[in-house]
Amino acid sequence: MPEATLRSLSDPGRAGPASRLSRLAPVHWLALAFLAAALGFAAVAWATGNGFYLRLATEALIFAGLAMSVDLLLGYTGLLSLGQALYFGLGAYVSALVLRDVAPSFWLAMAAALLAGGVAGLIGGVIANRVKGVYFALITFGLAQVAAKSVYNTRALGASDGLIGIPQVSIGFGPFSLDTADPLSFFLLVLGLTVAAYAGLAYLMDAPFGRTLAAIRANEKRVPFLGFNAWRYKLAVYVLAACVAALAGALYPMLRGFVSPELMFFETSGNAVITVIVGGVGTLVGPVVGSLLLTALRSVVGSWTEHHLIVVGVIFMLSVIFLRKGLVGALLARLGRRSEQGRATP
Amino acid sequence: MTAASLKTVAGGACALGVRDLSVNFGGLQAVAGVGFDAAAGRITSVIGPNGAGKSTLFNLISGAIRPTAGRVTLDGADVTGQAPDRLLAAGLARSFQITNLFFELPVLENLRIAAQVLERPWHALRPVGHSRRALAKAEALLDRFGLSAKARELAGNLSHGEQRRLEIAVALAAEPRVLLLDEPTQGMSHGDTADTGALIRSLAGELTVLLIEHDIGLVMSLSDHVVVMAQGRKIAEGAPAAVRADPAVQAAYFGHG
Repeated sequence: MPEATLRSLSDPGRAGPASRLSRLAPVHWLALAFLAAALGFAAVAWATGNGFYLRLATEALIFAGLAMSVDLLLGYTGLLSLGQALYFGLGAYVSALVLRDVAPSFWLAMAAALLAGGVAGLIGGVIANRVKGVYFALITFGLAQVAAKSVYNTRALGASDGLIGIPQVSIGFGPFSLDTADPLSFFLLVLGLTVAAYAGLAYLMDAPFGRTLAAIRANEKRVPFLGFNAWRYKLAVYVLAACVAALAGALYPMLRGFVSPELMFFETSGNAVITVIVGGVGTLVGPVVGSLLLTALRSVVGSWTEHHLIVVGVIFMLSVIFLRKGLVGALLARLGRRSEQGRATP
Repeated sequence: MTAASLKTVAGGACALGVRDLSVNFGGLQAVAGVGFDAAAGRITSVIGPNGAGKSTLFNLISGAIRPTAGRVTLDGADVTGQAPDRLLAAGLARSFQITNLFFELPVLENLRIAAQVLERPWHALRPVGHSRRALAKAEALLDRFGLSAKARELAGNLSHGEQRRLEIAVALAAEPRVLLLDEPTQGMSHGDTADTGALIRSLAGELTVLLIEHDIGLVMSLSDHVVVMAQGRKIAEGAPAAVRADPAVQAAYFGHG
């Protein structure tokens, strides 16, 4: 992460707009390349009238949001959350209930999920940040298990069946509107939200706030002696991550028309961690790339064999052993080497 | 940094007061009733044989450990047992005996983070380029500590001597009024030790320095005031020459090497 985010330290604010573009960090170029590829994909899928792959890609982007929230904690702050699905599932349930029982309003559902994620994140963060390291991971795991089992056993929330019959919604943007039932429109909306989340979070992680998180990750013990309350910073990023996960979760029932307790289960949390590690920790692009890759893999391999989890497991192990910084990390390292060579021979 | 920009403090007044400071670790009295004044703008050193409780004393003053009894005052205000981040806000910073940096971050970023407290809180959410004061401070410290050429190196890749210098620079970045230096020349070569001594000397007048140091020659040449500890207690204090001549110090410290 340091190599991805610490490039803009020199000559602060002195560069004009043109040179600022040329100084764009390689990780942002990767994000732009990804965006172009996603738009290309959307055009092809639209031209061929293929709704299935658009919906699959939309689901991948939704889970990319969950993975990004794990990356905020793991990649930037060094906190391993094994229960991030708690906030994802919470957002999904709140969104489903609002859409079904209150009003079929996209904005209301998102706002309610954000609020719920923030409050739950504050409570969970106060509990989990009492401890460090392995114990932090175990507490986050425990919190999610408690929440998942509670939902699983609550008849009013559909118990093990979850909530079904979530209406499709029409989303208004002033004079324009789009419908979640239309695969292309909804894909483009979720893509737009993903890009906005990436841009906002990448900005925040490169601002002094995010750099203090990097300092906590590098050497938490020194941080208080530099005047920072490390606990407050860790709580703030935990709440932020919970909000991101809840917003991603809120999109799920709009895509699928139902929610189920599995969204909160450990498999969902664990998959998000695997996604981040395969894609590249501390890059924010990595989780998106990882999510698309693993979703595609599950779909393709899943059509040959029902043992597709074996394949995912093997890929996870290979990437931990051979690509310590994930796919995006390895790519950035290559780009960095090349740009250094370019500088050496001008 | 130019001489004109150096803040000078009125020398002599008590900047850091330590009164009957004590701490027990499971029955072991690591620091027992230690008290002294560190005069503003002067260099006060704490010396003593290994295990005398010097580092524990620093941990008590800097908020790393809570004392079981006693008081610490900063410019007369009671700051006993306050958390390190609040003590820093009150004007007290420290360095560490075992280099305690952000090894995976660049040298300049180590200093920028340490100087960030000079900025208004909302600058934490603005692009880092807006934190001009912190960046200027970081650059000035790079210059002063001869680390400008290493600004972009990761702190973990510096030589031991460079890391020791960065350790002091990081502690200075928040512009503290009182600076605690825990064996700043630990493991340094002879030449580096002399340079660091000159640097510490240059700090006096700008701020109040409390120093733990093993190099007795350095202590005697640098200090305005020396506090001698042995087995958790203060056994003597005074001007360097007077302390050196003290029979109790001779016996406890210089006697049994």
